[in-house]
Amino acid sequence: MKEVVIAGYLRTAQSRSRPNDPARDWFCKMRADELLAKLLPEIIERTGIEPKEIDDFLVGCSTAVGEQWAYGGRFPVFLANLPETIPAKFLDQQCGSSMACIHVGFMEIAMGFADIVLAGGYEHMTRIPMGAYPTDKGLIAANTTLFLYPSYQHWDMMTTVNMGLTAEKLFSQRDFTKEDMDRWGVLSHQRAAKAQTEGFFAGEILPIEAEQADGTMVTVDKDQAVRGDATLEGMAGLKPAFKKDGVITAGNSSPLNAAASSMILMSKETAKAKGIKPLATIRSIGFAGVDPTIMGAGPVPASKMALEKIGMTPSDMDYWEINEAFCIVALNCMKELGLDPERVNVMGGATAIGHPLGATGVRLVGTLARILKEKEGRYGCANACVGGGQGVATVIEREDYGW
Amino acid sequence: MKTDYRTITVDMMEGVVLFTIHNPPVNQMSPQLSEDLSEAVKEAFDDADVKAVVLTGTGKNFIAGADITQLKLVKKREEVFQHALAGARFLNGMETGPKPFVAAINGNCLGLGLEMAMACHYRVAAKGVNLGQPEVQIGLIPGAGGTQRLPRLIGVPNALDMITTGKPIKAEKAYARALVDEVVPQEELVDAALKAARRFITGELNLKMRMTRNTLHRIPSAAEKTAILNYARLMASEKAKGYIAPFKAIDALEQGLGFDIEADIEKEVGFFSDCAVSDVAKNLINIFLNTRSAGRLKRIEGIEPAKVKKVAMLGGGVMGSAIVHLLLQGGFHTILWEISEEALQKALKALRKTFEYPIKKKKMTQADLEGMIHDRLSTTCSLEDMKDVDLVIEAVLEDMEIKQDIWKRMDTVCPPHAVFGTNTSALPITDMAEVLHDPGRMIGLHFFNPAHRMQLLEVICAKKTSDQTLATSVAFARAIKKIPIVVHDGPGFYVSRQLGGLMGGAVYLTADGVNPALIEDAMVEFGMPMGPATLADLTGIDINYHVNRTFEKRLGERYEVHPLTEVVYRTGCYGRKTGAGYFDYGGEKPVPNQKVVDAIQQYLEENNISPKEVSKQEIVDLMLANGINEAGYMIQEGICDRPQDMDLAMIYGTGFPPYRGGILRYGDKWGLRNVYEKLLEMEKQYGVRFKPADLIKEMAESGKTFYPED
Repeated sequence: MKEVVIAGYLRTAQSRSRPNDPARDWFCKMRADELLAKLLPEIIERTGIEPKEIDDFLVGCSTAVGEQWAYGGRFPVFLANLPETIPAKFLDQQCGSSMACIHVGFMEIAMGFADIVLAGGYEHMTRIPMGAYPTDKGLIAANTTLFLYPSYQHWDMMTTVNMGLTAEKLFSQRDFTKEDMDRWGVLSHQRAAKAQTEGFFAGEILPIEAEQADGTMVTVDKDQAVRGDATLEGMAGLKPAFKKDGVITAGNSSPLNAAASSMILMSKETAKAKGIKPLATIRSIGFAGVDPTIMGAGPVPASKMALEKIGMTPSDMDYWEINEAFCIVALNCMKELGLDPERVNVMGGATAIGHPLGATGVRLVGTLARILKEKEGRYGCANACVGGGQGVATVIEREDYGW
Repeated sequence: MKTDYRTITVDMMEGVVLFTIHNPPVNQMSPQLSEDLSEAVKEAFDDADVKAVVLTGTGKNFIAGADITQLKLVKKREEVFQHALAGARFLNGMETGPKPFVAAINGNCLGLGLEMAMACHYRVAAKGVNLGQPEVQIGLIPGAGGTQRLPRLIGVPNALDMITTGKPIKAEKAYARALVDEVVPQEELVDAALKAARRFITGELNLKMRMTRNTLHRIPSAAEKTAILNYARLMASEKAKGYIAPFKAIDALEQGLGFDIEADIEKEVGFFSDCAVSDVAKNLINIFLNTRSAGRLKRIEGIEPAKVKKVAMLGGGVMGSAIVHLLLQGGFHTILWEISEEALQKALKALRKTFEYPIKKKKMTQADLEGMIHDRLSTTCSLEDMKDVDLVIEAVLEDMEIKQDIWKRMDTVCPPHAVFGTNTSALPITDMAEVLHDPGRMIGLHFFNPAHRMQLLEVICAKKTSDQTLATSVAFARAIKKIPIVVHDGPGFYVSRQLGGLMGGAVYLTADGVNPALIEDAMVEFGMPMGPATLADLTGIDINYHVNRTFEKRLGERYEVHPLTEVVYRTGCYGRKTGAGYFDYGGEKPVPNQKVVDAIQQYLEENNISPKEVSKQEIVDLMLANGINEAGYMIQEGICDRPQDMDLAMIYGTGFPPYRGGILRYGDKWGLRNVYEKLLEMEKQYGVRFKPADLIKEMAESGKTFYPED
């Protein structure tokens, strides 16, 4: 099995999506595939490879309907005017979609079927809103029998398809308080704001010229949802977002976002031959299915699998990126795996940075690699919960690439 | 809530209130309906017992558009703007109000009707009904949110197509495109709508989600919008030259489709208002209204047209077979006569050919056609078989003797009430009718080629044509879906002579050294479908020549055949049918025919005429002045007297550009004084052909117009 490295990582800023007030989304007049198409030529050039050297293009999106349908991944190839010889696959593992792209790319290279793989993800939650919208518009049509037949009742579809309710259920089954979640949310914002101020994210964001609702042009170069002034008091005052007596609020969950992300994977030997300094080496991958009504539990078994496959334990990891779809997900994962909160989401998490579903996986792994470099850590694990009851995880190692 | 409205019936059923609009003739949005609706909607909002509203129409119409006679009355842009904006805001209020609205689309849902349906939260349509934004056909664009809501529901490309062409779509297609949420049989319509209304009440359907304005996924990105609309503009500049509305519609989409729909709709209302006060819209609106009233003459007011059930068609040539097509489609029992069995077979073949297009377009099947032929068409070679017909249409050889012989036979065979229509295009009908015992039963029914496609039917009253014959003929024309334009007998009747007048100046220009190609270009740019040379090639240079000779004989010195006309005729190149006329049709594209070019050149050399530079405008001025003058002569000779009918005839019969309103409308716009002066100038230069008609002189001097000021 060949060793696989992350040779490049680049993303757009994550704008804050508001289907109820689209004009406030910095990317309201751009499609997600247009964002991705701006990244692709740039990451290729920055990594120092030729487009024709790419053996496969893997792209993920969570709600691949309407304008996000990608013709099996070929539309982004066309939009970026990349060579026709680059094949493509479109992967949907919901919130794990672009991490799945890393997984498949990793396996293709490890097994010697590809040498350089371009991975990416995108999601525009203003232009293609999640939730009831695509169902109402007929863009997606879950099989109605799942909701109606007694033989399917155990799936509890009404909870299963509503991420907020799954978070409420996970909360109800664990021993955390609402304040624990709010506190984590505030911390996430503070960490992200600090990282933003110190310029950490500038190293992974490609600034994009975007036309605003009023016709003016703005350079979007930072994540829109980060609020350095977030306070616990403010969080405490927010109303439950999903059920009357609930605890999950807009403050302790991730916002809606629009963004695209990209990553270049290659065999270590190719990186060496080309003199490319990788960000990190991919050591293991994990994926697991869990009860869909508590999908937020997914990262735990997925991370365990990834670690066990290479004989490691959670305590071997220096840093963690846990996708804060909801703060409860991170809290649960830290508790179950016995993690030190100071080693988790150190540059802030999705509560602040955002969670553009399909783009998130690459963002998590890419940011983790950059954190390892910034903090001089060695091992790291990135994971995410996945709607429908799954978890995904990736373990990476920053090595001393002596070339 | 209040239940007595003049145009709306109100029925309350278990929390859902049903508004049924009844505003004849087409449920148009009149001031009364608009007043009633706004009051009824407000009542529904305020009444706590009303949980949802179902909106439906009556008969064949949901709402078939705005009341354009009202629009005609407004002159100032600001006035239009404020009025339209109020309407648009009413719909905004309906959409964002506290109660769900379900549109039960029972029939034509056009213009403002569709805009209202799109402001509803759910749309159920009856099978087969039409939905569309036809405004562009009368020079307007949607002005109550249509350009902003339609793209949100069906995407920009489809919306652009509907808005810039004005063509409606059927309910089934509307469903496929997600413009309507359900399509059901007519009899289940209201029930289905009530059911949908209850789904809002139970919370199954979400009011906010169902507001069209909250549909996001079909709004194009900035890059896409630029790409699509640039393309649309390019296409429109090719297809809609001379028109304004398609471009304004594109502007409305370009400046709209943002995330503040109310601001965008206000911009749309602005573009709508630009259109509404334009000459183009006024012309098109007049054409629309005049088309409806064509043939409604004082002379036949109150006369009950005779019931026509069975029609005899004499002659199955190109015209005859196409007329049979119309008769069959109009539901008439038809008996087709030809001279021999062989000619009949040929006629049937030609008839079937006329149906190839509708069959290809799936408007009907081959079986439908065969069924129609079997049920309604009989054929014969015997004139004695016309014993029980109500109308005879004759389209045999253009030979007075032959025609009169046939009519003499008809006179004895047919029942006394039968109307006799001749499709002659050249012979005097008054003379033709003289062989009948009662010349009052004869009339001219001048169809235009291809008769099954052209909308115009020129109805020609001979001297003794009776009012009853005319009334029956006009009603018949409507029954076969033609626009009847009634004129009086005279050489070329109205259309041919008017067209001859409009195009007739070309030979004088050519003989004066003007490049014929420039004349072609000038007339096409003016908006005619083709220039004079191309037209002559199509109708036949020999035919034109003979018509010219007839005019010369019957109308006198103004119509004297020009020597250059003679020269071209002598080349023996008669146009398309001989492979070449002014143009040579041998290659892929027509090119100037060298033989004719040489003949003209020789004529010019012999007469010491050198090439002459003129502007296209000068050409258009001369041609139009000549055309308007011809109209003046025809009015003073009593051939015709209704300017609106004359203009319609040219538009529907010859493709005169509708956006210019017609030849007389153009004359009014240009000013009769200018026309007169141009004619005097031309008369001086080219002679008696351009001598102003007394009527033109008098109008120029008195400042009169063909149309009363409107």
